[in-house]
Amino acid sequence: MWKSYDDLDVLKGVSFELAQRDVKVIFGPSGSGKSTLLRCINMLEPPDKGEVYLSGQNLMESKININALRARIGMVFQHFNLFSHLKAIDNVSIGLRRVKKLPKEEARERALEALHQVKLVEWANHYPAELSGGQQQRVGIARALVMEPDVILFDEPTSALDPELIGEVLQVMLDLAKAGTTMVVVTHELGFARAVSSEMLYLDEGVIVERGTPEHFFTSPKSERVRRFLNQISILYGGREKFLELSKKEKNE
Amino acid sequence: MFQVLPGPIEEILAVLQYWDHLFSGFLLTLWLYGWAIFIGFFLGLILAILRQYKLPYRTFPFLGILSNISAGFIEIVRGTPLIAQLLLIYFLPYSLNLPIERWSFSTSFMIFDKEITLILLNRRTLTGIIVLGLNSSAYQAEYFRGAIMSISSGQLMAAQSLGMSRFSGIRHIILPQALRRVIPAWSNEAAYLPKYTVIVYFIGVEELFAEAHWIVSKTFVSLTTYIVIAVIFLVMITLISKLLDIIHKRTAIPGL
Repeated sequence: MWKSYDDLDVLKGVSFELAQRDVKVIFGPSGSGKSTLLRCINMLEPPDKGEVYLSGQNLMESKININALRARIGMVFQHFNLFSHLKAIDNVSIGLRRVKKLPKEEARERALEALHQVKLVEWANHYPAELSGGQQQRVGIARALVMEPDVILFDEPTSALDPELIGEVLQVMLDLAKAGTTMVVVTHELGFARAVSSEMLYLDEGVIVERGTPEHFFTSPKSERVRRFLNQISILYGGREKFLELSKKEKNE
Repeated sequence: MFQVLPGPIEEILAVLQYWDHLFSGFLLTLWLYGWAIFIGFFLGLILAILRQYKLPYRTFPFLGILSNISAGFIEIVRGTPLIAQLLLIYFLPYSLNLPIERWSFSTSFMIFDKEITLILLNRRTLTGIIVLGLNSSAYQAEYFRGAIMSISSGQLMAAQSLGMSRFSGIRHIILPQALRRVIPAWSNEAAYLPKYTVIVYFIGVEELFAEAHWIVSKTFVSLTTYIVIAVIFLVMITLISKLLDIIHKRTAIPGL
C-alpha cells in the first residue's frame, strides 16, 4: 500500500495479511502512518497505489459498492467520534437501522446486547456528552461490534483517555480478543499487545521496520530504533520501576 | 421647539382609522417573509452542502463544479446591494424583450365592515419573493456552512465506517446537529429578513411600508405613521426571536 498527501509520502509500501481471529498490533512513533494505514484499509482515505483484499474481494476496484463493504470492517477511533445528538443506544443501533435496514425493535435489542458486552446497559439512554471518556469509547466499540464485522480496526483507542479510564476499555478489548474477534490495533499499550497479539508491526516513516511476535519484541528486537522506542514507551506506560530507575540514574549523574 | 398638532392621540387615531390598510400590509409582509425564509432555508441548505462537500469525482465526474458555482453565487449575492438585485430581476424580462403577461392571483375577505384585498401573486409580488428568497439563501447558506464545519468531521468518518454513504452520513449525522447548532446565528437572518421585505416597495408591492406611505399621503401624519409601522415590526421580530429561543432550548442535546 502506498499513500501520500501532496509532497508528503505517508505510506511507502506497507504490506501485511490478516487471518481470522488474528490480533495485530501496530505501533511506532507519531507521524509514522499508523492512522493512515487503518484509514486506507477501509478506504476512508483510499491508498494511491496498492491493493486491499477483504476475503478475496479487492476493495480498490472501482465497480464495487464500498459502503456495503465498509460495513464489514468496524472502526474504533482515538477521539471516539460518537454521534453527539444520539443516545448511547441509538449510536449503537443506527448502523443496523440505516445500513442493515433492520426494524426498530430488532435493532434495539441487538444494540442492547452489544452494550451489555461492553457493560454499559444501564447507560443506554444517556447522551455521549453525559458519559466519561472510557464509557464513550466503550460505546464506540459496541457501535462497531454490533455490525458483526469481519475485522475491527482500533485507532489508538486509549490514548485520549485519562489514565484511570484506560483499564475498562482495555478489559473490553481483551474480552473481544479472547472471544476470537479479528482485530488490527494501533496502540502503545504494550501490556495489551503482549497478552493478545499474534503479531506486532513496528511502523516508522511509512514502512514496516520490524515485525514479530510480542516475545520477539520484548526480548530481542533487531533494530536500534525499535529498542529505543520500546524503552521510551515502557517508561511512559509500563514500568514504574523503570521510571524510578531512570530518575535515580539522573540524580546520581 | 416642536409643536405637535393636533395632538399625539388624535394623530394615532387618524392613522389607525386606516387599520385595514395596515392589516393588509402586515399580511403581505408576512406572506413575503414566509416565502423568502422558506425558499432561503432549503436553497441555502443545498448551497451550503454543495459548497462544503464536493461531490465525489468517482461517482459524479465534473459535477464538482457545482461546489464552485455555489460559492460564486453566494459571494455575488452577498457582495451586491439588495436593491440592485431586485431591480435587475424586475427589469430583466423587459431588457430581454420577453413578453410579459398581466396576471394576478388575489384574495379578498371582509373584516367588520372593511374589505381587505391581498394581491398574493402577480409579477411584482413574485419578483419580490424570488429576489428576497435568493438573497436570503446566500446568507443562510453561510450560517449553515459555519454550523456544518463546527461538527467534527470524525463523526462523518465514523458514519462511513459503519457502512453509511457520505450522503446518508450528512443527512442523518451532520445535519441534525448542524441545524440545532445554527439556530442562534440563524435567528439573525430571521430577524433581518422582515425588515428587508420593505424593499419591494420600490417595485410597487403593497406591503406594510407601501401602505404606510399611502396613509401618510392621505392624512399628512408622517412621524406617527412610521412609528406605528416601526412598532409593528418590533413586535413581530421580538416574537420571532423568542420563538427561536424556545426552539433552541427545546432541541438542545443533553450534556452539551
